[in-house]
Amino acid sequence: MKLAKVLIANRGEIAVRVIRACREQGITPVAVFSEADREALHVLMADEAYPIGPAPATESYLRIDRLVATAKAAGADAVHPGYGFLAENAAFAEACAAAGLVFIGPPPAALRAMGDKTAARRLARTLGVPMVPGTLEPVASDDAARAAAAEIGYPLMLKAALGGGGKGMRLVRAAGDLAGALRAARSEAAGAFGDSAVYLERYVSEPRHIEVQVLADAHGHVVHLGERECSIQRRHQKLVEESPSPCVDPALRARMGEAACRMAKAAGYVSAGTIEFLVDPDRNFYFLEMNARLQVEHPVTEMVTGIDLVREQLRIAAGEPLGYAQADVVARGAAIECRINAEDPFGGWLPSPGTITGLRAATGPWVRDDSGVYEGCTVSRFYDTLLAKLVVWGADREAAIARMARALGEYKVVGVRTTIPVLAQIVAHEDFRAGRLSTHFLDRILPGLTAARGRLRSVAIIAAVLAEYERLGHHTLPPPAPAATDAWRMAFRPGAGGGRR
Amino acid sequence: MRFVATLEDGVEPVEVRGEGGRYRLTLGDEVWEVDARLTAQGIYSLLIGGVSHVAEVTDDGGACVVDVGDETWVIRVEEATRHIIRTRGGGPAGHGGQTLTAPLPGRITHVAVKPGDRVEKGDTLLVIEAMKMENEFRAGMAGTVAEVRVGAGQAVNAGDVLVVLET
Repeated sequence: MKLAKVLIANRGEIAVRVIRACREQGITPVAVFSEADREALHVLMADEAYPIGPAPATESYLRIDRLVATAKAAGADAVHPGYGFLAENAAFAEACAAAGLVFIGPPPAALRAMGDKTAARRLARTLGVPMVPGTLEPVASDDAARAAAAEIGYPLMLKAALGGGGKGMRLVRAAGDLAGALRAARSEAAGAFGDSAVYLERYVSEPRHIEVQVLADAHGHVVHLGERECSIQRRHQKLVEESPSPCVDPALRARMGEAACRMAKAAGYVSAGTIEFLVDPDRNFYFLEMNARLQVEHPVTEMVTGIDLVREQLRIAAGEPLGYAQADVVARGAAIECRINAEDPFGGWLPSPGTITGLRAATGPWVRDDSGVYEGCTVSRFYDTLLAKLVVWGADREAAIARMARALGEYKVVGVRTTIPVLAQIVAHEDFRAGRLSTHFLDRILPGLTAARGRLRSVAIIAAVLAEYERLGHHTLPPPAPAATDAWRMAFRPGAGGGRR
Repeated sequence: MRFVATLEDGVEPVEVRGEGGRYRLTLGDEVWEVDARLTAQGIYSLLIGGVSHVAEVTDDGGACVVDVGDETWVIRVEEATRHIIRTRGGGPAGHGGQTLTAPLPGRITHVAVKPGDRVEKGDTLLVIEAMKMENEFRAGMAGTVAEVRVGAGQAVNAGDVLVVLET
């Protein structure tokens, strides 16, 4: 079958990413939005957009009934869930199928097998894929958790059974912290995924987080697209990702890729998925979990392989075969992604909602800006803080790092605090440049990271004073050209723009 | 026009003269000739002696955060007489307590203390959920909880008083 119209059950940069892929495939993209998102970029870019409820995600982006009804009413033939929200929710996939809508992702059975982290761990054990010790089932009560924790030993990790992206995840160092961590993890899991089940796992010290991208079609073909190194994390939220990993050689890549494909096949997996591994300092790898969805950091894989993962998802959902084999997948060069979040890295990483009053994204050779915002838009407090993903490609890792440093320097965001200054310091760090990474990298360097201050003190004062001079009514600065601020509007929807607020 | 710029590492008097994008600024005893353009809201192009700088100026609760090059500065700028009036007024209220205010809008998911509780520095006072993240707030000092002004489930705005501690 051919997909003609796809509803995107998401928001932010990933909704924009899917809209772009749809447009390139000649598919009509349909957006949905909460009351807080009427003016969001994905609404402006889609051909059609429909309201689905109030701002809290539990009353809008997590409402299966409204999403399915909206898709039917719009005449969509498929639904793309993006990542987060309902992307790994089997009930949503089933509701889509029951309504005659193609769910762009794995079949419900595979979602249950892989999306549920404990079920995935059972499968890995059956297949002989190495695993970190832990509970195979969610813990039913605090007492059960205490008993299991005593057996696994501290420190340990709490993880949401339906989780991903660090939500509902907690490191517990000692027995006394277990009850508080359980409460926090369950509450976060319930809010983010609509299910509060959590399980326990032993904590591996100095691990790398390396994941393998797989693509599977509905005809039994499975290939892997190499790995992504995602070790640079803060509170289990990834901040910088790259492909290939500086620690993976062709032999290790082949072994990890083979294990990933074996798991995907055994689960009856279809569409794009990711198998996450921990890799210890001796380069042993352990299955962590499967993400039965498109990953936030998928662009680095696209940049090195030349394969458009969202296009592949759309093709696979339409029933097309992959049309290529493992030997046809060739990675070239190195790609890095930096997550530009609305957070204040020098102020306790607190979220920084607000209006983006000024924005100039990085461009130029081999730079890709996957953004969900525009100048003048509001960053709502209701959703996660990701504004944009800055991705670069280079002929080798050194070139990619230099390019990322250059691109971060070009990226200007005014109105909300962002992670850009700390990203610039990370890519300049000698351990990052040397590829000496572990998931503790950020925790180790963050205490020493402060806002860089030095030779530009006087220039900063001049800018601050001129801004105040301007604010006091001395409108002596030539104003910005109006065309510059409205460029985004004309760029993608000629004639569709209304007045600015 | 005279201003006072307050930074973490000092206070600088600044005088500005000029118009139409060309300015002469006096910082202490240094004189700077600046060609300035506002290129987008909050994004300034500054040409100083041929050197091109782009500075991002974000208002952040009365102070401004200036990102220029790879540096970030937090600077409060006041018109000079306003600065004098403010700094001549009494110092910060010295009742030896700590008032915890909400740094951002969000929802209280958990309150860990009640009035009369003894807390040590670093103890969790409450948890605010904002942008899907739970943010723990801890006591900045040891003391006794004097007031708890919020309850679990309550929505709060930036600046709302949440908890008052007394030594």
